[in-house]
Amino acid sequence: MATEKTQYDDFIVKGFIISALVWGVASMTFGVIIAFQLVYPQLNFELPWTSFGRLRPLHTNAAIFGFALSVIFATAYHTVQRLCRTRMWNDTLSKIHLALYNLTIVLAAITLPLGYSQSKEYAELEWPIDLLLVVWYVIFFANYLMTVIKRKEEQMYVAIWFYIASFVTVPLLFIVNNIVIPAGFLKSYSVYAGVFDANIQWWYGHNAVAFVLTTPFLGLMYYYLPKHIKQPIYSHRLSIIHFWSLIFIYIWAGPHHLLYSPIPEWLQTTGMVFSIMLWMPSWGGMLNGFLTLTQAKDKIKVDATLKMMLAAVTFYGMSTFEGPLLSIRAVSALGHNTDWIIGHVHSGTLGWVGFMSAAALYYLVPRLWNSNLYSEKLANAHFWLGTLGILLYIISMWVSGITEGSMWRAVGENGELVYKDWVEIVEFLKPFRLFRAIGGTLYLTGIILMVYNFIKTIQNKDSGFVEQDLRIGVKS
Amino acid sequence: MFGFNKFLDWFSEIADRWDTKGIKFTLYTTIAVVIGGLFELIPPFFLTKTVTPISTVKPYSALELAGRDTYQKEGCIGCHTQMVRPFKWEVDRFDPTKAYGRTGYSKGGEYVYDHPFLWGSKRTGPDLAHESQMLRSDEWHKNHLINPRTVGGVPNSIMPAYPWLFEESHKIDVEQVVSNMKALKSIGVPYTEEDFANAPSLLKDKTEGQALVAYLQKLGKDSAELQKGMK
Repeated sequence: MATEKTQYDDFIVKGFIISALVWGVASMTFGVIIAFQLVYPQLNFELPWTSFGRLRPLHTNAAIFGFALSVIFATAYHTVQRLCRTRMWNDTLSKIHLALYNLTIVLAAITLPLGYSQSKEYAELEWPIDLLLVVWYVIFFANYLMTVIKRKEEQMYVAIWFYIASFVTVPLLFIVNNIVIPAGFLKSYSVYAGVFDANIQWWYGHNAVAFVLTTPFLGLMYYYLPKHIKQPIYSHRLSIIHFWSLIFIYIWAGPHHLLYSPIPEWLQTTGMVFSIMLWMPSWGGMLNGFLTLTQAKDKIKVDATLKMMLAAVTFYGMSTFEGPLLSIRAVSALGHNTDWIIGHVHSGTLGWVGFMSAAALYYLVPRLWNSNLYSEKLANAHFWLGTLGILLYIISMWVSGITEGSMWRAVGENGELVYKDWVEIVEFLKPFRLFRAIGGTLYLTGIILMVYNFIKTIQNKDSGFVEQDLRIGVKS
Repeated sequence: MFGFNKFLDWFSEIADRWDTKGIKFTLYTTIAVVIGGLFELIPPFFLTKTVTPISTVKPYSALELAGRDTYQKEGCIGCHTQMVRPFKWEVDRFDPTKAYGRTGYSKGGEYVYDHPFLWGSKRTGPDLAHESQMLRSDEWHKNHLINPRTVGGVPNSIMPAYPWLFEESHKIDVEQVVSNMKALKSIGVPYTEEDFANAPSLLKDKTEGQALVAYLQKLGKDSAELQKGMK
């Protein structure tokens, strides 16, 4: 066993784990700040680079491209080597990838607060940074694919399918949406205009959710969940069916972000129909996860990592139920543009992406640094703080969003708007938004506990990792 | 039902064989993804090329464009939408003067010069698509931007204050705006040589804040004019 371990490049996995921790704490801290700004505007400090409009893209970019991508790359490098039973094709390329990737995120963290923004959601970065991103992406993808090609294992396990699907789709979306005409070093305009620009943007925006925040994390689930409980995945056939239907259907659903807008009616309907169809493949993945977990249900009570996986799969099921629901025209009429959408997104990102990432990190850190996790109790505290945080967040946003939508549309007997004064509605929503900020703070506290736990674990490195069955204490 | 099961059997049998072939697998995955992508992007591309243009909709003047750039820079899109949906409660709220007639919701033709579109996805503050027809003075907008809570009767607003926009240090960079207009011309916005020549005098000594106010006063103005012309 010992010789086989040295065969793999773990340096790169560690590098991306550390990136994930740094950008994770940064993005969530900004999230908490802007959540409080929406209740206490004084927290904008009347400074350009601390105002909500500039920090909000910083929060989303750091969370999606800083935190989630770091986790995706860490786990992609870790799993592909083991599933292919071979080292990465080229270690130097991996290191260049790590360096350029982090440079890109640093540049993003500088330019966004300075106001360099394309104002396309999740595609705010200006063109020189986009180009840098394409460079390291090509480097990474070539390295990944070559590793898959030279593999020593004949079959590619389902985790690799999900990673490959993500890695071919993301550049497609990214490049098409980011075609701009530069008008200066940090200024450009989308070549598309108006209605068509909107259509492209939400094709991109929706599929960033699909191919950055969903499919790689399903890949990750398919590897770490069975590994952690030492049981095979429940159904291989279900994996096949839900994989192909998920990647085929997901990409059609973008127009559900543009219901009741001037985009063609038939396109809106297509987006809505495909969104509803997504229920099946999404729940296929969720059920495969759940049914695998039930094989180890006695462990769930004692193992914080497993609890996180269970919660993550639950939140995945919940937010992929809510998504199609919100894409139904009548529901969209009420929910669109309200806090409900923010709640929906965060039940996916905090619950599914955040917890699945944390679970993978709890699995990886002790093994890679060859030491036992510093404290199971802290991990357990992280789980409960996080869960409570998410619940506070999404419940307050549900209440706030539905209240908001209802107040907007309230019309009196004589046909007049009941709440004509906009700020009256804003005032009414303040308590719910405050609860959201508190929920976010709890979640961030959990993440900080995790980072502390990892620092302590890493300080103890090479003390010898021993796999433990938490039900009965240390096992051989 | 049984037919569907047979289909699933058939499909999973053949798909099961793909996972031993790296390149083939990647190729099939790409095809699966591209089909939906093409369907969603190509037909609407031709359709939206023919979005009925609204005759009175004109490109942004140099000052309005500078204001639009400021709007993008400050991330106003995070809290304000620019798309009124076809509901009574939205039309009434965002067009209280009925400047757009009975169908006062947003039309595709209003956005033909918008690179990029700025519809937004979150409406924390009110929609701005028809802001010009709210008939607020430039002075009101200026005071509101400098401190949303002291004037205009919005003491409970949660909007950030933007005092720096009106400071001397935030004068508009004229050359940058002209270069921006030229870039836009190259992708189809009908700016003329005259527009480029007039830009410096339009922008002289103007701050980003003044430009932003000009942009807000432009929003929805052209389509409202069309409606007035029809009366």
